[in-house]
Amino acid sequence: MGLLSIIRKIKRKEKEMRILMVGLDNSGKTTIVLKINGEDTSVISPTLGFNIKTMTYHKYTLNIWDVGGQKTIRSYWRNYFEQTDGLVWVVDSSDLRRLNDCKFELDNLLKEERLSGASLLVFANKQDIQGALSPEEIAKVLNLDAMDNTRHWKIVGCSAYTGEGLLEGFDWLVQDIASRIYVLD
Amino acid sequence: MNNQQALATTDDMSTDPTLDPTIQRKHAAMIERLSNLHQSRVSNKTDLKDSSFESTKSFLLQFTNSKQAIESSLTQIQQIPDADPTLDLKPEIEKISLSITELEKLIAESSYFLPPYEVRSSLKTISDLKQTLDSVASKVKPRKKFSFKNKPAKKTEPTNIITKESIENEPEQHSGYKVKDAPGFRSRENETLTKEFKGSEMGEFVLSDLTNCEVRLKGCLRTLFINRLQNCKVYVGPVLGSILIEEVEGCLFVVASHQIRIHHAKESDFYLRCRSRPIIEQSFGVRFAPYCLSYDGIESDLKVSNLDDDTGSWANVDDFQWLRAVQSPNWSILPESQRIDTLII
Repeated sequence: MGLLSIIRKIKRKEKEMRILMVGLDNSGKTTIVLKINGEDTSVISPTLGFNIKTMTYHKYTLNIWDVGGQKTIRSYWRNYFEQTDGLVWVVDSSDLRRLNDCKFELDNLLKEERLSGASLLVFANKQDIQGALSPEEIAKVLNLDAMDNTRHWKIVGCSAYTGEGLLEGFDWLVQDIASRIYVLD
Repeated sequence: MNNQQALATTDDMSTDPTLDPTIQRKHAAMIERLSNLHQSRVSNKTDLKDSSFESTKSFLLQFTNSKQAIESSLTQIQQIPDADPTLDLKPEIEKISLSITELEKLIAESSYFLPPYEVRSSLKTISDLKQTLDSVASKVKPRKKFSFKNKPAKKTEPTNIITKESIENEPEQHSGYKVKDAPGFRSRENETLTKEFKGSEMGEFVLSDLTNCEVRLKGCLRTLFINRLQNCKVYVGPVLGSILIEEVEGCLFVVASHQIRIHHAKESDFYLRCRSRPIIEQSFGVRFAPYCLSYDGIESDLKVSNLDDDTGSWANVDDFQWLRAVQSPNWSILPESQRIDTLII
């Protein structure tokens, strides 16, 4: 029992999580990932394909898959669904016109069976822009309250430009995933 | 939330980061040995007396206590007569669901020292509890419908306020949920539209449904959305964030921004300064050239927006529908002889 408990403790410390970042184009997915990793965010081209970032967050290793959101490549999102522990949906809170598109794509995504166990974090990004909708308003537009009640979800207002709110969101996501992974161990 | 934090702190205490992990491990092993020794000694005298850390018994005790508490509150809810429609059971149910989650976490935290049988059986208990809760919740739900008439007054109050606002701000918008509209020029024809932005009003701006217009935006902007333009000329000062251009035809754009995305553009010319690679999607006949705008104070505006030097990115266009190495047929670089001269607005 002594050795086993030690091994389990070590194993638990090396916990890896797979996080998938998706959302419409121009919502700021790549900027969020780079910002939270402390990298330069001044020159970021629209993502053609995907980026993977591995970072240590508290005692976990996060593998963040940042997938491009342009319309032509949204159909490839499903290639990344397997084994996803956490889903991050990024919304451009200042893009009022495309909120319906945003809701449509999110609803489609949540129907996906392979993502049914994943915790959902919604980032209401670009809160620093004058005229951006608040997270509460975004939640209403996306009708998040009507979601299946087995889904763990949270919406957090953030600004990838200033960095505000990013840690709050990731803290929640990692905590939520951790509480599930322990049990499954 | 509090609970999560509390759990996190206990976790931190058991694995003090300041200690050397090997020492820590040795220490843990030593304690384990000592406690085993102690246990074997004690068990000779008394039967069950063990409340030490990481003990299965103390876990089971705690688990059973919480389980009983949850069960009793569940039966309590079930016993409430249906006749009372004003009683809102939702917070009660949420509370129970929260304590079930808590219990689940307790198992999770203890799973590494529990025997597999205990883990399995406690997980089974949890799923049973969840099932009971679900059935109770579904029984309670129809009642919620009965009390619906009483509730809207309180519950939809915030929604009411917002719809009121939206009616004041944009009476023409009824479908969908829109709280307000961003500032911008919309639905104009044959006009020259001018706006100058001062530092304080730096925000978003929208150009939509314009035909045969000339648009001049001076000063810095935070972000710009352009949608459904025909035969327009658009001259814009530096944009700190991104520009999104959709459904334009026969237009001329002179814009500077950190990111530029162009969708559904036909036969249009773009004079750009861009920090990153501009992209096009579902577009054809679009041509690119360097930024060529000038107005009083543009130099400092460009500097503020970190767009003061031309990185040449305007020519590195990514066509998302043309992933081959050869040049995309959908866009080209505007020959120098056909470019417009520097524009002064």
